[in-house]
Parts: sequence; structure tokens; C-alpha cells
Amino acid sequence: MDAKDIIKLNNEKRELLSDVNKEYYEDMLSYIRLSTNKSEQQTEEVLLELLEHLLEADRNGQTAKEVFGEDLKAYCNELISEIPGEKTSKNVSFIAFLILDLAAIILIFQGVIGFGLYYFFGLGNNYFSIPIGSGLLIVVINMILLAVTIMIIIRWLKNSSFKEKKTKKWVEFLQVWLICTAYIGLSVCIFIATPDFGRTINIHSLTIIIIGVALYIVKVIINNKYRITK
Amino acid sequence: MSRRSQLLKGVLEGCILSIIKTTPTYGYELSMRLQEYGLSNVSEGSIYPILLRLQKEKLIVGEMKDSDSGPKRKYYQLTEEGEQSLQNFIEQWESIKGPVESILYKGRE
Repeated sequence: MDAKDIIKLNNEKRELLSDVNKEYYEDMLSYIRLSTNKSEQQTEEVLLELLEHLLEADRNGQTAKEVFGEDLKAYCNELISEIPGEKTSKNVSFIAFLILDLAAIILIFQGVIGFGLYYFFGLGNNYFSIPIGSGLLIVVINMILLAVTIMIIIRWLKNSSFKEKKTKKWVEFLQVWLICTAYIGLSVCIFIATPDFGRTINIHSLTIIIIGVALYIVKVIINNKYRITK
Repeated sequence: MSRRSQLLKGVLEGCILSIIKTTPTYGYELSMRLQEYGLSNVSEGSIYPILLRLQKEKLIVGEMKDSDSGPKRKYYQLTEEGEQSLQNFIEQWESIKGPVESILYKGRE
């Protein structure tokens, strides 16, 4: 049974839990899933086992704390330390997939906007021009920035599990808003601050759209074949 | 149970291997068996970190299978290395059980 199928099963079964245990279990679930670089298959298998166990316990009127111990976070940490790491090949293909997805979307937007501005408003010259050196540097720095941002958000999410007192919604919103604004602001700064170097290339908007669409199709095919996100 | 003693961990491992050896077992069933035998002050959930470790050490393998009562469950089976490890555990247990008991209870009678 593939990890993705187990997740589906988990989503269905979780609904059968009592309210108290559902809250406990969902805290455990998100905390364990957010532990980075662990085998997805093993993680989902053990999560389903915990759920099955808790469903039985529910019928006997037990709570998650009676089954897994008073300190649920410590229990989860113990589990996480025993889950084997993800295979490097899976990690590499996942990151490559994300980059492909991101590149396709950026190219399609860039192409469509450039094309639209030129044909409907007479702005620009329908070409996207960038010095090769600066372009590559911007892409690399942005990838690193994105990775750091994702790690900060994962840590933020992990910290929000197992809180006795739930943080107010607007405080949470403000925190995430600040993280995202900092990310967008920095990536714009990088684009402006990077000096021009290397030979300048000009690419026609339609070419950009075609490359973007081609990458997108490749992405969809890969996802269907290797079930990366579904 | 995070500060569960090393002793208990080791003994539980041996017991789990022994139960799985007789018949392929899934998590909840395993924990119920341990309770039936009287290990009731061991928290039920403490078997899952141990099951993960035993899998990592390739002493047991888990397989998702349809159960008699319907839902898919992960059944564990002993590997050859698991059999060997259980054998070692039994030998060690046999060799310390008597001496430890006489040391602990000496002078009580």
C-alpha cells in the first residue's frame, strides 16, 4: 500500500474519533508529519497504526493521554527518532519536481504578462532580456531563500502543536504574514540589487510561454507516473 | 514513558519478538496480548517506538494486509535475524533470571 493511499485511509478514519481524541491525534499527526527527512511510507504506516489503536481505545472511553502517555510531545519525539530517514533518491526527485513546477509557473506568467503588455498596451518590446550571469545568480539565491522560508514555516507549524492554550487567530495570521512579507520583500530586493553581468539574451514572450507549458506538461506526466503529490 | 528504563525496553523487545513469533500480529492486538499477560503498567503506546526500531534492525517485517474483520492492518512477522535475536534474548534471560532473583530477595526469607 502506497503512502498516498494510507493518507487517504487516515483522512477517512480520523473522522470516526471522538472530539477530544481527534484534537490530540491531529496534533500528533501534524507534529510527526512535519519532522523533516523521514521516510514517508514508514511515517504514514505508523500514523495509521496509532489511529487504529486510538479508535479502539475510544470505544473503551480512553483518551490519547491514557494510551500514549501524559506527555504526547515526548512520545512523538520518541517515535520520530525511530522512524528511518527518507531515501536520498526520493529526496532528490522531490526537490527536482518542486523546481520544475516552480519554473513552469514562473515562465508561463512571465511570458503571458510580457505578451499581454506588448499587444494590449504597447508596452515593452515583447522580449524578455536578462544578462545570463545575473539571471542564474538570482535564480540560485531565490532557491536558497525559498528553502529557508519553507524551513522557517515548518518550524513555526511544529511550535504551534501541543499548545494547551491556543494562540489567537489574528496573532497567528500576523506571524505568517510577517514571514511571507519578509520573503517577498527579500526576493524583490535580490532582483533589484544583483548587478548586471554576463552576455544579455533576449527571448520572445511566446518562446517563454511554450517552454513554460512544456515544462508543465512534463511535470504533470511525472506526477501521474511517480505519484509525487497525489 | 519517555524515561522508561532501559531494562524494561529490553525485556519488552524480547516479549514482542516472542509473541510475533507464534503468529503474525498487528499493533493493537500485540498491546492487548501484553496486557493480558499482566504487563498492564506498561503504557499501551510504548510498543510503537519499539516496533519501529525492530523493523529498522530488520528483526521483524510489517506488511499491510486485509484483516479477517475488514480493515487493512499492518501485520508483523519475524525475520530469520529476528528468530536469532529472540534465541539470544531467551538464553540471556535464562542465565540472569535466577541469579538476579536470588540477589534481590536474599535476606528476605
